[in-house]
Amino acid sequence: MAIATAPGRAFDQPVTEQVSRSRALWAVIKRKPLGMISAGLIIVLVLTAIFANVLAPYDPLAAQPEIRLAPPSWAHPFGTDDIGRDVLSRVIYGSRISLWVGLLAVGIGTCAGMIIGLVSGYWEGRLDLVLQRVMDALMTIPGLILALAIVSVLRPSTTNAMIAIAMVIIPGNSRVVRGAVLSAKQNRFVEAAQAIGCRDYRIIASHILPNVTAPILILASIWLGNAILIEASLSFLGVGTQPPTPSWGLMLSSTGRAFMEQAPWLAIFPGLAISLAVFGFNLFGDTLRDAWDPKLRRKG
Amino acid sequence: MYKYVARRLAMSIPVLILSSLIVFGLMRVMPGDALTALMGESGNVSPKELEKLRRDLGLDLPYYKQYLIWAWQMLSLNPGDSIFTNEPISVALKKSIPVTVELAVLAMILGLVIAVPIGVISATRQDKASDYAGRVAAITGLSLPDFWLGTLVITFAAIWFRWIPPLGYASLWDNPWTNLQQFLLPAAVLGFRLSAATMRMTRSTLLEVLREDYVRTAWAKGLGERIIIYKHALKNALIPVITLVGGQFGTLLAGTVIVETIFALPGMGRLTVEAILFRDYPIVQTNVMLVAVTLVTLNLIVDLSYAWLDPRIRYQ
Amino acid sequence: MPTHDPRPVPSRSRATRREFLKRAGWTTAALTPLLAGSSRRRAFAQTASPYPDWMPPSPNPPKRGKLLTRASAWDPPVLDPRLTNSVGLSQFAALTSNRLVRYPYSDEAANSTDLTLKGDLAESWQGSPDFRVWTFKLRKGVKWHNVAPLNGRELVAADIKYCYEQYAKEGVQSFTFQEIEGIETPDKYTVRIHLKTPNTMFPQNLAEPVSIIFAREVLEEDGDLKKRLIGTGPYMIKENTRKVRLVLTRNPDYFDAGRPYIDEYHILSTPDAATRLAAFRSGQSDIHFVASVSDAANVKKTTPAAVVQEYKTVQTVFGLALAQDKPPFNDVRVRRAISMAIDRQRQVDTIYGGHGILGWGIPYFYFQDKMPTAAQLGPYWQHKPAEAKKLLAEAGHPNGFESTLFYYEYFPEMSSQVQVVQQDLKKNLNIDIKISKLDYTTFYGRYAEGKWDGMAWGFKTGYATGLDEQTYQYMHSKSTKNYWRFSDPVIDELVTKLRRTPDRAEQRALTKKVFEREHDQVTRMWMPYDSGFLVWQPNLRNTGSLALRRNDGYGASTLARLWIDK
Repeated sequence: MAIATAPGRAFDQPVTEQVSRSRALWAVIKRKPLGMISAGLIIVLVLTAIFANVLAPYDPLAAQPEIRLAPPSWAHPFGTDDIGRDVLSRVIYGSRISLWVGLLAVGIGTCAGMIIGLVSGYWEGRLDLVLQRVMDALMTIPGLILALAIVSVLRPSTTNAMIAIAMVIIPGNSRVVRGAVLSAKQNRFVEAAQAIGCRDYRIIASHILPNVTAPILILASIWLGNAILIEASLSFLGVGTQPPTPSWGLMLSSTGRAFMEQAPWLAIFPGLAISLAVFGFNLFGDTLRDAWDPKLRRKG
Repeated sequence: MYKYVARRLAMSIPVLILSSLIVFGLMRVMPGDALTALMGESGNVSPKELEKLRRDLGLDLPYYKQYLIWAWQMLSLNPGDSIFTNEPISVALKKSIPVTVELAVLAMILGLVIAVPIGVISATRQDKASDYAGRVAAITGLSLPDFWLGTLVITFAAIWFRWIPPLGYASLWDNPWTNLQQFLLPAAVLGFRLSAATMRMTRSTLLEVLREDYVRTAWAKGLGERIIIYKHALKNALIPVITLVGGQFGTLLAGTVIVETIFALPGMGRLTVEAILFRDYPIVQTNVMLVAVTLVTLNLIVDLSYAWLDPRIRYQ
Repeated sequence: MPTHDPRPVPSRSRATRREFLKRAGWTTAALTPLLAGSSRRRAFAQTASPYPDWMPPSPNPPKRGKLLTRASAWDPPVLDPRLTNSVGLSQFAALTSNRLVRYPYSDEAANSTDLTLKGDLAESWQGSPDFRVWTFKLRKGVKWHNVAPLNGRELVAADIKYCYEQYAKEGVQSFTFQEIEGIETPDKYTVRIHLKTPNTMFPQNLAEPVSIIFAREVLEEDGDLKKRLIGTGPYMIKENTRKVRLVLTRNPDYFDAGRPYIDEYHILSTPDAATRLAAFRSGQSDIHFVASVSDAANVKKTTPAAVVQEYKTVQTVFGLALAQDKPPFNDVRVRRAISMAIDRQRQVDTIYGGHGILGWGIPYFYFQDKMPTAAQLGPYWQHKPAEAKKLLAEAGHPNGFESTLFYYEYFPEMSSQVQVVQQDLKKNLNIDIKISKLDYTTFYGRYAEGKWDGMAWGFKTGYATGLDEQTYQYMHSKSTKNYWRFSDPVIDELVTKLRRTPDRAEQRALTKKVFEREHDQVTRMWMPYDSGFLVWQPNLRNTGSLALRRNDGYGASTLARLWIDK
């Protein structure tokens, strides 16, 4: 097998690579304003989700139908919805749902995809063949259709929407991981380690994984945004989060559309929230790529 | 070359078989019979009648037999009838496929028309204001849910212009002018989302290519910017873009589901979603297999064209 | 006297509603007890809307021709009237086919609740003194559509007999037709029906919009009625493209000479609500339906010339359905407690902008002249959370319990109601409900199958016009249309007696007893409702929609009298 040097790497230890990676990221964020904005957006999102119960002025589920469809005011900065619930509180708590959905879906999808990709790429052979064909088969089914079918099997709910989205993520992820593993295997170190009889898991941990984490994190960042969008589409089709959960997707697709003209704030704020969150995650993924992609690193 | 083709083809077949197993399995695991949905409205169908219907539809056979029957139907290109309407699926497909294909093609064209110029501008004026504007526009396109954009478009078209695309689908052959009116807005909505991803890809690959040696040579030779970009750089940059666009086909088909519902187009996306909700197994299975075959074929063509274009790429 | 009137001022501007809400918001904060108390003393259950509930027929001579279009939410599931009574079929089957008898059209009716039976295919009819034998004399010269295999042949008594016998065999109509013992056809134009038990209201059952007369030849040739729908009605199906459009064209041989007036009626499949509204605004749809006053005002804002008719609310179609054939809901105390824990008036005042009704299941004009007052609805329809809690504790659930509720969002206000009810029950009784919002087919299938547990936002089918249908057919314990799954021997007795009572006054008294019993036992927990509003393009005439016979849906037969003034 031809020996090809992994680009840009000399005799540095994996540990040094880690340090240089986070430093590279910080450097990029500092330099590019868009990177800073995206990091900021994500931090705001995470903080809102964690401190939702402190930040939200009202109970997001407390219905006060007497003040339904009230436009934004001092008492209710984002207005009230069709049964008088405070939209600001619901949007704040919605960040929890969106993060929860995103993290779980992407978490499961990424881990499972990573495991499959690692196994596939490291050991190759027949296992690889079979696994990759299964992944290919899953990828021939359009994502939304697959998610819809899975949610229909499992019964519509937030958790099941997450599982469905995770299943959509797995095949693509496994392919990327497999590619990264294959290219990492070409590293001289791996050959050497295998020659002296190092245990597989050590090789994977020390040499393969560091190569894999970068593309995974980039993909994860982008998928976090996509997961939120898919959940919104599932809600539109009627099989996503169930009322009265304050999920942005449900707010936008049901009351947002139904009262679009009489109470546009019902759609504007959840829609803005979704857009900003997805925007943030996508941009952050871009920033990660700018910082870590070895091909682009060359341009300094 | 032929060995390569043969090997790629051989790989596609197990993939298709696996796809069919996955979609068949999913349909059978769903709670709620197609019959419950169908008979639910009737309320007073005798158990005997229900049994007879179940037998007629072949739903009482063991799963593996049902699968083999269906596989045979697929291979002999005779997909059978819809459970709900009793109409032959081939009829429904003949009517709905042209709609989705037209929507998808128009969306891709519109997407490219928007994306490529903006990507080029973004790349050539990197880090300047127009680059930022372009990148922000691209990411906004990726961040808006389709159903939201579609709803906004149709509502404000009616309010501001007192006009919406004429309802009641007319095929391109029957009535081209009505047809174009019907497809322009939905294709634009879909295309907007596609263009976002394409824009970014164009920008990044063009950025890479612009740093290649042969481009630098062209600069040094004093060739005009426009010639450099369009004659040399873009052609090479477009290869990954074409891959992306091919890969977007899956996303496109998913996106058509929502757009077809909002703009009342009788396409495959809408047909499939409604069939899933109605538990109309034959339609879902057939449609998904059709898409799978198309995707696999497209991938095959793309791979083969790579191999033809670049002799260095060989299947490992 | 309350310090402000919570009812909306009749004006079409959005500012009024905002005003109302601003005031309501302020007064809610400061005057909640007063507000709550005052609204409960409301005398009548529904306030006036700015729109008339009846459009009188046009005095001008009708003009023939033109095209009527409507963007419709409903795709017909199947064309077979034996297998479905869905409005998706009736929206056009009422025009392609006739029934033996019918209710008045909009240009014949004295008012929207005029239910005088008129002859459709029958010219006259008579019941025997014991009301067990009904004889119908058919109109002569009625022709089936001039389409193969009928080819315009004359309708004869044997056709009617065939249809009714088919309906009785199986399907959604069977319960209605199974009371027929036998049908004679002594001659070509006479149908004599023998019933197993007396029924003074049998002809009314035949007038229901779903009991259409279909063609024997089609059923025999095709084996079912799923592919072709051929009738004797004013319109024929010219094109039926699923999920796209249905085109109806004038029947030139229709027996009611000179009618219908419109040449073609196009029904366009438009699943999305926003798109339907956009279609109306851009002129592509001539008829639009909205569920609340504010929605109607919204349409008028952009299309000021549009004509709005309030679709007269005489009953509720939806309510909280409980699996009451099993615990815990088979205990009447539990049902009563739940009913008292729900604040219906608040739903009417807020979600329906004051324009809805508190909820009762039998059209009120069958037992009294005016809408029931809140008091008349009985003690268990009042909002008494403390009593409710006590009652539930007595029934053995002092700490509440958990349950599920599934529904389909027929209109957005329904989702609001479901969530408010969820909160009412949690707050007042500690009953924790998990909501499942389903798509239409899953919901309808599960609900109609009748095996679900917990709760549902259920309905009785929306087409019933006649009294027997509303009572016996829906409430008898043995009926297949008893979606509410209750079995009450008192009601069984009352509704059976009702259909044997020819005297009008006695009928009203009996019906009132049924109504009171229902509210006492909370067999069907009706919820607030507003029948909604129909919006028409300005140049349509004879558009009046009659109560219980909405003319974009089950009451579509009256569109034969509609004309376009252009």
